[in-house]
Amino acid sequence: MRDIWLIAKHEYRRVVVRRGFVFGLMAIPLAIVALVAFAILVAKAGENNLPVGYVDRAGVFNVTRPDDDRARAYVDQESALSALEREEIQAFFVFPPDYMQTLQTDLYYLQDPPDEDAWGAFDDFVRANLVAALPDEVQERVLQGPEITVQDIANGRKFSEDEIANVILPFAASFLFFIATMSSSGNMLRVVADEKENRMMEVMVTSVTPGRLIGGKAAGLLAAALTQLFTYIAAIVIGIAIASSRVTELQQLAVPWAYMGVMALFFFPAFALISATMIAVGGAVTNVQQGQQVAGILNLLFMLPLMLLVLLFENPSHPIFVFMTLFPTTAFLSISLRWGLGTIPLWQLGLSWTLLVASTIFMVWATARIFRAGMLRYGQSLNLKAALRAVRGY
Amino acid sequence: MHTVEVSHLAKRFGETHAVVDVSFAIEPGEIFGLLGPNGAGKTTTIRMMLDIFKPDTGDVSVFGGELDMPKKRRIGYLPEERGLYKDLKLEPTLVYLATLKGLDEKTVRSRLGGWLERLDLADHRQKKVQELSKGMQQKAQIIATLLHEPDLIVVDEPFAGLDPLNTRIVKDIIEEQRQAGKSVIMSTHQMYQVEALCNRIVLIDEGRTVLYGAVDEIKRNFAGNAVVVEGQGDFDHIPGVLEVRQHDGAWHMALEIGADPQAVFRALAAREDVRIERFELAEPSLDDIFINVVQNGAAKLEENRA
Repeated sequence: MRDIWLIAKHEYRRVVVRRGFVFGLMAIPLAIVALVAFAILVAKAGENNLPVGYVDRAGVFNVTRPDDDRARAYVDQESALSALEREEIQAFFVFPPDYMQTLQTDLYYLQDPPDEDAWGAFDDFVRANLVAALPDEVQERVLQGPEITVQDIANGRKFSEDEIANVILPFAASFLFFIATMSSSGNMLRVVADEKENRMMEVMVTSVTPGRLIGGKAAGLLAAALTQLFTYIAAIVIGIAIASSRVTELQQLAVPWAYMGVMALFFFPAFALISATMIAVGGAVTNVQQGQQVAGILNLLFMLPLMLLVLLFENPSHPIFVFMTLFPTTAFLSISLRWGLGTIPLWQLGLSWTLLVASTIFMVWATARIFRAGMLRYGQSLNLKAALRAVRGY
Repeated sequence: MHTVEVSHLAKRFGETHAVVDVSFAIEPGEIFGLLGPNGAGKTTTIRMMLDIFKPDTGDVSVFGGELDMPKKRRIGYLPEERGLYKDLKLEPTLVYLATLKGLDEKTVRSRLGGWLERLDLADHRQKKVQELSKGMQQKAQIIATLLHEPDLIVVDEPFAGLDPLNTRIVKDIIEEQRQAGKSVIMSTHQMYQVEALCNRIVLIDEGRTVLYGAVDEIKRNFAGNAVVVEGQGDFDHIPGVLEVRQHDGAWHMALEIGADPQAVFRALAAREDVRIERFELAEPSLDDIFINVVQNGAAKLEENRA
């Protein structure tokens, strides 16, 4: 175990001190900070804290609540108009005597209508007054408004406004997975091809077994990938925490534990599959550049669901996406993206995970053979035929 | 107990027979030369010996048994195809490689200073490997081979890329290792280095052991193939003599294969036009032996000598 730890530590340091990694690590959090700052600035710029006035000729507004300071009463239209001209209010409503019969009001403003916040606050004020005579429980229910929950009877999954995270998070997680795996698979390819390019293989395999060498490298790069992921997640959580003080919808976000659990089950075998594929490529090619060309093509096998996002939105249960859910290389992203758009039958999840784990085990085994066959071919690549021969053990 | 015992090793890569039949044994406290022309199978033999390749047939015994990981840690290997991580600094690279051989970092650092000083790399310890000259990188690789104080040292072309001064330093280091009781396997094409350093050699040609034994003994065995004569007269057209050339005031006569030096002496003594002041069997250089064996084929020579 000591040598795996030493190699993992060495590879982790090698990756995280690179300028590209640090830049990539900081780019997402900085982008989030910039977005939050921009959103706050925009909100601040468009904010109008002036109250909305009203003239109650219908005699229905008798109830005031502590947070009703954004609704200001005027005895007549003239005094409301002069307050509007003095910019003490941003607009005012005139409730005619027959308001309760017609439910019609007149709105007066100078240039722009009241902003969304002011409109919402005044709306609450009106609603509270209109239901003031009703029993408390009824008042509370009416003021709370409707809550729509869509339930999939076949699979028991629910979608409601409270579970908005169930929709947003899978997409965010898919993109994070995309970024993290792309960067770590690139690193994996680089460290293996680099070992070969630097002619270090013979020295290394007389110090540690090829299995431990690969294991140590994979562990170090997994740690680097997790560093990247956790940094992103931390940045998002902090970003949401800061932004939620301004955006009330964000306060209702709940952690979708079911999604997190399923994705955790798929993440590690998916990451191992990508890593093993990249190690095989790194062991077979002559140098990093050649490896990157091959890896670019192989990456398509992993990232296909993201490229078919438009189709996925239209029909997440289309046979193509069912196939990609079951196919090991596309399983993680397919499941993650489909999670936010509909329900995935349990049998698909179970079969997909089984196929993913089985193909990962096979790939790790095959990679060890390809790596061993290709590692000492300095300046020569291992073509597909030779790689297959190595896997068959010839 | 032999440090290494290699017995009838064979290895094929597809249709190519890289090693056909190689056997030798290495004793503790000796420098052993592994020689052969390019493509003879030396590197494949070393790789099988170090468990990098599995032999198709034959046995390898290292430190009295199969090579496992603890035994691998007692080996220092400087391969022919060698390098270091170019984008890393010298000192951390050497520390990393030595810790993989089982040393703790503190011990590595305490040993490293002396080696860096001795090989004139102390001022370059914080430089990236790619900033070092080829010779410096070569010296750094030698440090990586020896830093964990291995009991078996395998060095493939250890003098490649070194200037005469550094060659001397590395030669001294190899000699010190022998004196310390370590076994050293050295593969090189520099025959004068083999003559100067090696106790015994094996010569591999076309994947087979063609010559094996102590350097002095091999030279003695091949001594009958040439004579050195001092004197005056015409030394041409002597029966049994293949070629005559004058060097440093003496005549060097290469004998025909199977020719008896005593018969040559008698033929010279019988000649009226020749006066002999000195006649002795010439000790051939390893270089000559190497060329002879590889060009003529060891089997043919052995057959004719017999």
